[in-house]
Amino acid sequence: MLVDAPYIPASVIEIEAQKAFETGKPGPAFGRQLATIALRGGALAVFIGVLVVFSVTAPFFLTVGNIGNVLGQSAIAGVLAIGLTIVIIAGGSNVVTGGIDLSLAANMGLSAAVYASLVQAGHGDGLAILGALGTGLAIGAVNAAAVTLAGIVPLLATLAVMNVVAGLELVLTQNTVVPASTDFLAALSAGGPFGIPVLAYILLGFTLVVAAIVQYTPLGLRLYAVGAFPDAARAAGLPVKSFVAGSFLASGLCGGLAGVLSVSYLSGSTTGAGDMLLPVVVTALLGTVFSRRLVPTITGTLLSALFVGFLINGFQLLNISSTLVSGVQGLLILLVVSATTLLGRKENA
Amino acid sequence: MALPSFAHGLARYALVAALAAVFALFAALAPGFLSGANLLSVLVNNFALLAIVAIAMTFAVSAGGIDLSVGTAVDFSSFAFVSLVLAGQPVALAALGGLAGGALVGLFNAVLIAGIGISPFLATLGTLFVGRSVQQLLTNGGNPVYLPPAGVPEAFRFLGHGALAGIPVPLIVTALVVAGAWVVLARTRFGRVALATGIQASVVRYSGLRLPRITAATYVLVSTIAAVVGLILTSTVTVYIPSSGNAFLLNAIGATFIGTTFDPHGRPNVPGTVLGVLLLGVVANGLLLSGLNFYWQQVGTGLLIFSVLAIGFANRKAAGRV
Repeated sequence: MLVDAPYIPASVIEIEAQKAFETGKPGPAFGRQLATIALRGGALAVFIGVLVVFSVTAPFFLTVGNIGNVLGQSAIAGVLAIGLTIVIIAGGSNVVTGGIDLSLAANMGLSAAVYASLVQAGHGDGLAILGALGTGLAIGAVNAAAVTLAGIVPLLATLAVMNVVAGLELVLTQNTVVPASTDFLAALSAGGPFGIPVLAYILLGFTLVVAAIVQYTPLGLRLYAVGAFPDAARAAGLPVKSFVAGSFLASGLCGGLAGVLSVSYLSGSTTGAGDMLLPVVVTALLGTVFSRRLVPTITGTLLSALFVGFLINGFQLLNISSTLVSGVQGLLILLVVSATTLLGRKENA
Repeated sequence: MALPSFAHGLARYALVAALAAVFALFAALAPGFLSGANLLSVLVNNFALLAIVAIAMTFAVSAGGIDLSVGTAVDFSSFAFVSLVLAGQPVALAALGGLAGGALVGLFNAVLIAGIGISPFLATLGTLFVGRSVQQLLTNGGNPVYLPPAGVPEAFRFLGHGALAGIPVPLIVTALVVAGAWVVLARTRFGRVALATGIQASVVRYSGLRLPRITAATYVLVSTIAAVVGLILTSTVTVYIPSSGNAFLLNAIGATFIGTTFDPHGRPNVPGTVLGVLLLGVVANGLLLSGLNFYWQQVGTGLLIFSVLAIGFANRKAAGRV
């Protein structure tokens, strides 16, 4: 379940070990490894602990139907967070100068609006899907051009694109709900085998495909290399800019896919897609604790999305105000980042 | 050598040129744009509050960070102010309470960033989320807190609606904040050290300056400046709406970074930020007056920010400075 890019971790740990060997101090590298394992174990332990508490206290929590529901409800945020994770991997984890895509939530909103409007205009699902995915891809292309050609910092480029996209969604929908119901949409939002929603299967299948590409192919390895060591990647002859541009295209496509899912989940396009932005950013950043080296991974992001989904669900079952969820999310990210930062400091000391 | 310096000159004046072009465009197209009443309304409604938040953001970015929780500081200040006025406290005391409420947010950030060493983006993102939850807990799940119109003290209304010598009070406060920020950043020791932190933090540390203390002071200052907006906003609309301050966040970031194109070295600076806010305000107002569909206005604003950033960054790249 927990996988990183296969080669980089090994080499980094080797370098660490070599450093420790050369200086004759085995302490820091070994200590850090141990602490990292503890932190990752800690994150998993918290996840499992939360599940156990909910399953003991909330009667319906541990039923197949409920778990399937959580998976289905996490599908939209999960797909968006996975798109963001790809950008973060390719751009490096420095959030201000590195990879980030703030236009993802607005992208989902516009893609959903395009889908619903095409259906309203009497077009079939095939064209509507093409329209939504094409919209997402086009937004990704604009981001890619702004970052790699114009040289704008991703944070700003995607911020400006977010404004334009959110505006276009308002123009298209006149800030109203556009209902859409077709057989295809109904099939997407229906229950699948074993009483688990189709959306849940889509989330798992999508994660599987993307994780396979990002974590297990040479392409994925190069993606990590470009983000972590751009200079080294360039020296090794990798087309750094193409990879960064590709990551924005991929995340744009994820936005389009999330748009299709949200039209099916909500039976139409609704306003307020922008509210998804910050939770998605937190989900993607939180995902790093579920990886072996505390780096962004696709599976880690899935776990983090599910973790948030289970929290919301458990709170609902226990009748605890769901307003606490955002606070818990905030505290979690602060706890996680504090722990990682303190670990890093220990290593430097 | 001639070409780069030409390019860098262009980059520098892209912002001024954009502002002049937009101004001329609306003067020609939008009826009533050039009237004194409208220009004043641009300053009061589109400029004043955002300018203060953007100045706060400029401090954070100058010191090499960013503050995503400026809206939270606005909200906490607003909540403390309204609660204290409702409790019958004198307005001056309530205003101080509001500033303290905002400063509290900054203190929390300072502990996370300077104390623990979390990156500012993540720390303030966490603060934003925790702050949102705290506000919902304080207000029974996010209910607005209204001030009864009858019970509003005169001094309270003065902050949002009053005028001194014909100049609206919010505008005077904004001018004071802008001038103060410019003096602090450009003319004081603290400002120079904060700028140095943003340019090369390690040099500040090796120079024997107390880096954590400077960072902590910066974030408390950022939130306190943002808290001023909470006071003005509350007294203008006489209501506190939970998590409403976040509406300023993205525009403040946009204005600050648009402003960086004004500096020869591409750094955040007070005059650039003010020009950036002015550009956003003029565009918002001009598009409104030109009778363009309300929803197209957001597209127009976004395209404009995008173009200024593209020109600024492309020229900076041509000048070999990215």
